Amino acid sequence: MTTPPLSDLIPARTELPRVLMLGWEFPPVINGGLGVACHDLCIAMSKYANVTMIIPKSNPDFVVKNLNLIGLNTIDAKTLRNIGHADSYKKVKQVHFINTHLNPYYNNNLEPHHDLQNLSSQYLKTIKIGNETAEIFQIDDLYGGDVIEKVTIFGKLAAKLALSLDFDIIHAHDWMTMIAGMEIKAKTGKPLVMHIHSLEVDRGGPQSKGWVYQMEKHGMEYADLLMPVSNFTGHVIHDYYQIPWSKILPVHNGIRPVEPFKSEAMFKEKMVLFVGRLTRQKGPEFFVDIAEKVLQHDQNVRFVMAGTGEYFNPLLERAAQRGIAHRFHLTGFLNLDKVRKLLSIADVYVMPSVSEPFGLSAVEAVQFGIPAVISKQSGVSEVLSGSLKFDYWDINRAAGYILSLLHDPVLLENVRQDAYKDLKNISWDHSAQKVVNGYNAHHLLPVMA
Amino acid sequence: MPSVCFYFQVHQPFRLKRYSFFDIGRDHFYEDDEKNRLILDKVSEKCYLKTNRKILDLINRHKGKFKVSYSISGTALEQFENHRPDVLQSFIDLSKTGCVEFISETYYHSLSFIYSKEEFRRQVEMHKEKIKTYFNQVPKVFRNTELIYSNELASFIEKMGYKAILCEGVDRHLGSRTPNSLYQPAGTLKIKAFLKNYRLSDDIAFRFSDRNWSEWPLHADTFASWVHKVAGNGEVINLFMDYETFGEHQWEETGVFDFLDHLPKEILKHSDFDFKTLSEAADQYKVRDIYDVPEFTSWADAERDLSAWLSNAMEKEAAKRIYQLEEKVLKTGNKDLMDVWGKLQTSDHFYYMCTKFWSDGDVHKYFSPYDSPYDAYIYFMNVLADFETTIEEAVNQVKPVKKAGKKKEPTV
Repeated sequence: MTTPPLSDLIPARTELPRVLMLGWEFPPVINGGLGVACHDLCIAMSKYANVTMIIPKSNPDFVVKNLNLIGLNTIDAKTLRNIGHADSYKKVKQVHFINTHLNPYYNNNLEPHHDLQNLSSQYLKTIKIGNETAEIFQIDDLYGGDVIEKVTIFGKLAAKLALSLDFDIIHAHDWMTMIAGMEIKAKTGKPLVMHIHSLEVDRGGPQSKGWVYQMEKHGMEYADLLMPVSNFTGHVIHDYYQIPWSKILPVHNGIRPVEPFKSEAMFKEKMVLFVGRLTRQKGPEFFVDIAEKVLQHDQNVRFVMAGTGEYFNPLLERAAQRGIAHRFHLTGFLNLDKVRKLLSIADVYVMPSVSEPFGLSAVEAVQFGIPAVISKQSGVSEVLSGSLKFDYWDINRAAGYILSLLHDPVLLENVRQDAYKDLKNISWDHSAQKVVNGYNAHHLLPVMA
Repeated sequence: MPSVCFYFQVHQPFRLKRYSFFDIGRDHFYEDDEKNRLILDKVSEKCYLKTNRKILDLINRHKGKFKVSYSISGTALEQFENHRPDVLQSFIDLSKTGCVEFISETYYHSLSFIYSKEEFRRQVEMHKEKIKTYFNQVPKVFRNTELIYSNELASFIEKMGYKAILCEGVDRHLGSRTPNSLYQPAGTLKIKAFLKNYRLSDDIAFRFSDRNWSEWPLHADTFASWVHKVAGNGEVINLFMDYETFGEHQWEETGVFDFLDHLPKEILKHSDFDFKTLSEAADQYKVRDIYDVPEFTSWADAERDLSAWLSNAMEKEAAKRIYQLEEKVLKTGNKDLMDVWGKLQTSDHFYYMCTKFWSDGDVHKYFSPYDSPYDAYIYFMNVLADFETTIEEAVNQVKPVKKAGKKKEPTV
């Protein structure tokens, strides 16, 4: 195989800032919210910056225009070890992605690795390419297994790789890439920006103070600038992680444009929709309570929950206990097409999230012309003035809103139209500009000669 | 000899409570008593009592040369009556100086002229009675809610016997002409129109505390010098504003009371200038030209039209629904129900529903007791749903056979 020269990995020097991004999820490997957000932000930023993105896994067939995408699974770790040593500077080897399912050998040594020379891990695989052996970072599942070890190894390898790259600023996404970001800042002295899409406190509640929380807190203290996806998350960072506001610059997410369509409903009742993981963070149990309250006043409504999670069975039981099972439907996991199908027939969208850094699904509902009833504990409530907002525990208020929307066409149309106006201001291009302006405003970029 | 005509608007609405969908049919009391009292107390202390004291002092100090005019909405008077008799008394004290005029408006500070002339007339008469009762004056000058005005209104008011009417001096109708003269409303015979000088009025009402304003901090002598520039080129300088400007919109710390304290003295330093009540000015000066306003104008927002209350579908729907009840409400003959209906007409309810600049967080938001214009609309419509049921029941109970000798007990 031929080894591409290292210079191919380095963006050409222009007046645009050179940004080294560190991501975890990235399409097509995972199509979760974080991956899509990172992807879309990178694409939008390529207008205002030269972006290189390091991720754990990439697929060489997945090429993104204007983006240098480097999957650590395609870089030889042995070669990385030599980076920084005098004459082996340009020996980074890129290898082909090999879809292997070898059983990982188990390594008892989980002490932190201070030196790549001693680095060994269940997630480093030796593969043979022709006559040579190469050692690559390989994980089958981004979140399964020992995630802490995965992010640690990712950090070490990314930091080594970064030494061979030329860039002005480091931009990490969430706790999985924080070790990498901190290592690179420590080794290069470049400013570190952390984009915060979600925090342990959102996922696990304010009492979550485990390893991930400590990681996040340490990482955010060490970073030069934090970019939460909303003011709401900015407050979480300030209130639960004690980070000063001077370091926090909220950057709202954008949205991909869609072609909305309408479909014929399979039942005559109005439909109220919930889309999201069935976990504590999304407040799915409140959706049941809201449904019960609405159904006491109007039986001609069906409540549909699309998504899955550990609350699936308890929710089924809860709905049955309340005697509303005949109007309450759990679909389980649905792919994007099926979710859109539901959006095309829904009348009201409800998002009762307990702690929602952004809440892209509400914007997707708006794209389909569905009025959104959303919790105030969400970032999206800051950008959707055309929506009805409630505290997630305020069942009566949410139920009242739904009933008003279902019974008052004037209100419904007014909210819809106002939300359409909001959509004009929700774009990844706005987000990208705000990010790059943020680098400048916080004096993180080198002064141009 | 040009005259400065101060007119202050005093108004407090009966704000509605957060009346939920689930209250419909269960709760027939709609007002947010607690909030209304809280705001009334706050504004009474910060503005009404202090400013009334200051005005009285100025009248005494200048031995009758300082004069002002007020319009106090019926809903404000009622709240003073019920909760702040001290404020009401301080206005009565002012009325006894002979230097203060009280003018007419709709009792409920409503948009009724736009929807029902009969209801409008009823409310103007109601208000007139109230003014007579408290201030022993029969109003001869009229101002409509938030200076909502048109040729048609001026004609209507003329026929009701008024000699003058107030309006905004709107550039698109005034052209290059000055607002500092009396005008003849197009299509009228005798009635005279006072046009608000919005530049000078807003210097006090809006810009006074604006530190980014090139004239900040504004002192009375500077302002008087601007007023004096009118000499030889106008007869009336109409300074119209919310009374709450003093102490509430512009806090005491901004120096607005000191400004007021020095203003009469500074204005009177120019021997050609004086202060007049609106009636005195209307009697003294002739109209200079015709002021033609075929469409409604007002003093609200930058647009100076009806869009502060009637620009989105929710506001229009709510207003339409409330005025659709007219016939039935009157049919009940029930004074209490008529009063509830009147209070639901207060323009503030519609102002809170305005979404014009909602996302930017504008002045509508500052005044709104609710989280959003949607909430304002939803609570209002929930109340209306309950009220409509009450009215239906009341109408069905009215026996058309013979004249009832005794009034039925109110159902609310």
